Amino acid sequence: MRTPLLLTAGLVVLAASQARAADPDGQQIYKQMCSRCHGPAGEGTKKVPAPLVGDRSVPQLAALIDRTMPEDDPDKLDAAGSKAVAAYISEAFYSPAAQARLKPPRVELSRLTVNQFRQAVADVVAGFRPAAKPDDRRGLAADYSNGRNPGAKRLAGRVDPGVNFDFGTAAPAFDPEPKEKPDPAQFSVRWEGSVLAPDTGVYEFTVRTDHAARLWVNDAKKPLVDAWVKSGSDTEFRGSVFLLAGRAYPLRLEFSKAKQGVDDSKKNPNPPPKPAQVALMWKRPGRVVEVVAARHLSPAKAPEVCVVETPFPPDDRSLGWERGTAVSKEWDAAATDAALEAVGYVLARLPELAGVGQNDKDRATKLRDFCARFAERAFRRPLSADERRVFVDRVFDAVPDPDAAAKRVLLFALKSPRFLYPDAGTLPEPYAVAARLALVLWDAAPDAELLAAAAASKLGTRDEVVKQAERMLSDPRAKTKLREFLLTWLKLDHAPDLAKDAKRYPGFDPAVAADLRTSLELFLDDVVWADGSDFRKLLLSDETYLNGRLAKFYGADLPADAGFTKVKWEPGKRAGVVTHPYVLSALAYTDVSSPIHRGVFVARGLLGITIRPPTDAFTPLAADLHPKLTTRERVALQTKPHACAGCHAVMNPLGFALENFDAAGRFREKEGDKPVDVSGSYDTRAGETAKFAGGPELARFLAASPETSAAFVERLFHHYVKQPVMAYGVDRPDKLEKYLSENGHSVRKLVVEVAATAALPKPPK
Amino acid sequence: MARTRREFVRDLGLSAAALPFVLNLPSLGFANQARRKQRIVFMFSPNGIVPKAFWPDEEGPKFTLKESLTPLEPFQSKTLILNGVCDRVRGDGDAHMRGMGCLLTGIELFPGNIQGGSDTPAGWARGHSVDQEIKGHLQKDAATKTRFGSLEFGVMVPDRADTWTRWVYAGANQPVAPVDDPYQMFNKLYGRAKDREALASVLDDLTDDLKKVGGAVSAADKRLLDEHAAFVRAMEKELQEAKASAGHPVPKLEPGVRRDNDEMPRISKAQVDLMVGAFAADFTRVASLQYTNSVGGARMRWVGVDEGHHALSHEPDTNAAAQEKLTKINKWFAEQLAYLAKRLAETPEPGGTGSLLDNTLIVWTNELGKGNSHTLDNIPFVLVGGGLDFKTGRSLKYNRVPHNRLLMSLAHGFGARVKTFGNPNFCGDGPLTGLT
Repeated sequence: MRTPLLLTAGLVVLAASQARAADPDGQQIYKQMCSRCHGPAGEGTKKVPAPLVGDRSVPQLAALIDRTMPEDDPDKLDAAGSKAVAAYISEAFYSPAAQARLKPPRVELSRLTVNQFRQAVADVVAGFRPAAKPDDRRGLAADYSNGRNPGAKRLAGRVDPGVNFDFGTAAPAFDPEPKEKPDPAQFSVRWEGSVLAPDTGVYEFTVRTDHAARLWVNDAKKPLVDAWVKSGSDTEFRGSVFLLAGRAYPLRLEFSKAKQGVDDSKKNPNPPPKPAQVALMWKRPGRVVEVVAARHLSPAKAPEVCVVETPFPPDDRSLGWERGTAVSKEWDAAATDAALEAVGYVLARLPELAGVGQNDKDRATKLRDFCARFAERAFRRPLSADERRVFVDRVFDAVPDPDAAAKRVLLFALKSPRFLYPDAGTLPEPYAVAARLALVLWDAAPDAELLAAAAASKLGTRDEVVKQAERMLSDPRAKTKLREFLLTWLKLDHAPDLAKDAKRYPGFDPAVAADLRTSLELFLDDVVWADGSDFRKLLLSDETYLNGRLAKFYGADLPADAGFTKVKWEPGKRAGVVTHPYVLSALAYTDVSSPIHRGVFVARGLLGITIRPPTDAFTPLAADLHPKLTTRERVALQTKPHACAGCHAVMNPLGFALENFDAAGRFREKEGDKPVDVSGSYDTRAGETAKFAGGPELARFLAASPETSAAFVERLFHHYVKQPVMAYGVDRPDKLEKYLSENGHSVRKLVVEVAATAALPKPPK
Repeated sequence: MARTRREFVRDLGLSAAALPFVLNLPSLGFANQARRKQRIVFMFSPNGIVPKAFWPDEEGPKFTLKESLTPLEPFQSKTLILNGVCDRVRGDGDAHMRGMGCLLTGIELFPGNIQGGSDTPAGWARGHSVDQEIKGHLQKDAATKTRFGSLEFGVMVPDRADTWTRWVYAGANQPVAPVDDPYQMFNKLYGRAKDREALASVLDDLTDDLKKVGGAVSAADKRLLDEHAAFVRAMEKELQEAKASAGHPVPKLEPGVRRDNDEMPRISKAQVDLMVGAFAADFTRVASLQYTNSVGGARMRWVGVDEGHHALSHEPDTNAAAQEKLTKINKWFAEQLAYLAKRLAETPEPGGTGSLLDNTLIVWTNELGKGNSHTLDNIPFVLVGGGLDFKTGRSLKYNRVPHNRLLMSLAHGFGARVKTFGNPNFCGDGPLTGLT
């Protein structure tokens, strides 16, 4: 790292001295005209306290200086002088790169974030269970039987895409017919497999049935829903469970149709069959109640997952990504409660996890070994003989009750900084690489394969690390993390409230809003997990996912009951994420579109430029007070004052280009009876003005702009690594952006590159 | 609706604010010493009784305890035997189901899919049970509110939820499962205290470890670990201070008690000991103790009975051997009741006068009057203790009074002045008279 830095500094000097010969000397100009107010190194003065730092490009800065500086008489400085002084201050202190040279960012010691803590605990415990073997099959394995008890008189087995059956008064239908004749009066079904949690949070499962049912999720012993005793007329039975994103959880649903109430077989041996129905539904965190779709179900069995539910104070996100660089009393208390919760979970399952029975003769020895292995998992590496003595044997020797000793060792393991601070320098390098890789790609702990690679010293070279990273990408946790990132990139990580004015947008209900989010998520997944994983397709694709309900609202041709299907938008009307109705309706008011919100999103979110918040809180001009103006005209009117124009000149024209879309993201040519004006523009960092009209043109501009990819790369790095990118070299952002463009714009390759960069040993300080 | 694990965990919190609760500190329990602490225990045994070996011949204060009830002799003056109280609730379900589901609720079962023999199938009870009524009444008032409100103990309750295995209901269609594993009950009662002990024991090592790890990082990074270490020390201090003001001792539980038919006597003793401990700590004032289940088939080999209880209970009255064995079985249940009474009598009322038994009423009952007839008439009700100021030391004989009226009396005894309880048709004449 040191060498390139020196080189860069040398180049600056060289460039400066060459400039002196022919062009105006920026440094001299700065000294003469600027430093009195801005300070000799741009640090600010009493008169102008704000330091001269920012992310404008040299051309943008030059234009600004030429227009406004020096404040008393802008004419004192011509265009060439402005350019020189802009180049000088940018290189000396203004630009992010200059700032990084002056105050080098470093990789800060971090504790596990809240999510990483929960994931790591799950992984430590998972180390004592058979590994999950996810496959591509979807749905649930179903086993149909005659009689009220599942499995008693088996009829047939098959894979059902989900559970949403109305059997009527008939028996279930099979193709081919089973040997035994299905009995419409009494039959039972067991659905089994796993459920894949797309988000972290509380899931409310609902079993809807007019007969008996019980449901187990992530706990084979205790049913989440127990309606096996049919009693009264209730038909909906609910149970809530906290799940971590990106994992599969064992699920079993049993359904039993049998005689109920009133009839008495003595008097009436053959009563007419009653109707029967059963559905498995859920309410995902922040979503609506819906039938659990096949894509979230798998007939493959999965081991249970230890999910710690203890609430934590949220992590710091002030820099735009979650990071664990601070501790607080509340965090310490929560981490303690969570450790106790996890230890309680483990101690209650010792026969399963430790293979030790309550009355085993060698219980003490077995527990001791289990605790040592648990500590190794928690610390992400083997224990030395000395460490085993200190962390395990010493406790077991001192505490007469082996169960109490086990509790102490396990609690210590999860409270120790060796668990909580994975990169605190306590790991031998191959294990440290494994730990970083697992955190970067999964926010989790290393799996058995990573630990084995570390043990075999196979994580020393970049190639070895890349190979592991590529393998790890196929894990559902990697898919979850990438989806989380993309939603964060689009500022949609926290699902916005999408309520719309019911009069103007009839049919836009919570179900449509929830479908829209699903549609966007399916689109994002589809692009990044397709062969090319082409970043530009996120912005350019003319494809999307719609179901029957969305198709009806957005005017596409699909049957009303269609599940999510990949469809093409009408040619020339939409392209990629900026025109996705979820994004557009999130960036709108309940009644009208909001070019300002959309413009800010494109500017800040996609182009990555800094826009200061408005000087004051403004209420948007009400549409009905200006009935003759279009939304565009109202916005232009309101943001005309000098104090507003500076920033709004940047964001309004970006948002105006999306005026083809109303507050619900529907395409429109007219607003009321006025045609919409969708022309827009943007002054690039290269100093040019780009012009575009409408969503697809804006999208094409964005996809081609190096500003968009630079912002994407930087966000992605921060989301994955949770450390400032320049801590890995001032030129790291440029290198990664180059990597992206030279590797077919592949998002997946970029993720691997980022993981390898962060996981490989840091150069010596 | 049962509490989610999340809520449970939150309640287990070891944050500073939660510390007094973690320690079972007396703040909740003893703030209310001014008023007498009334308690009630509902004890269940199944399959009816042998009338001639159970019901005293006499009525009034002078009576002789029959063979089944002889273990109660030391407490005869504190005992009230109620003959002639009948479960008049009818509707769906067989007699065992209704006997169990309507015993403390006094109301019919919902139609459902649970079928015994060839009777009409049924579901859960349509209302809450009287112990939960009393719990609700006590929990409403800060002066009588306790940590748990009620505790549901079990002994060898089968691991299935149906109308035969549940008698406590939080509400219509809301049966409450008893805890029949003493270790699980121990964790429920004292898990927090045990967690605190374990935590206190690792904090020193943790401080050392933070120091060691701190040595391996840069000075800038060490600041974070130093901050962390300060929180660990603060927690240590809090735990020490809390310990200094801790309340009662945590009872010791005999290790290695298995969930097995032959272990019933040990399980029973452990559960009774835990219940008495919970009363002494004022964790609750309402408890139930459910032996097996309606139709329960315990094999009481330890009293010389090899056959299952339920099968024996179907034998006709003419089978003298079966009658003798059933009497032995019920005598064993009476012994458990006597042990509970003894432990309560030995335990002084904390912060009050007399013993726990002086302030506790035990209500021993059964889902049937008699096993081989499946009658719901003459349901056994044996009351022991002074919790409700009933006039004890008597044998009473009523004329087919609905048991709803007795349930009302129990609620009224706690000041929950319900106008009816369960099916109002059986509450016409109000609480049962003649008890006080």
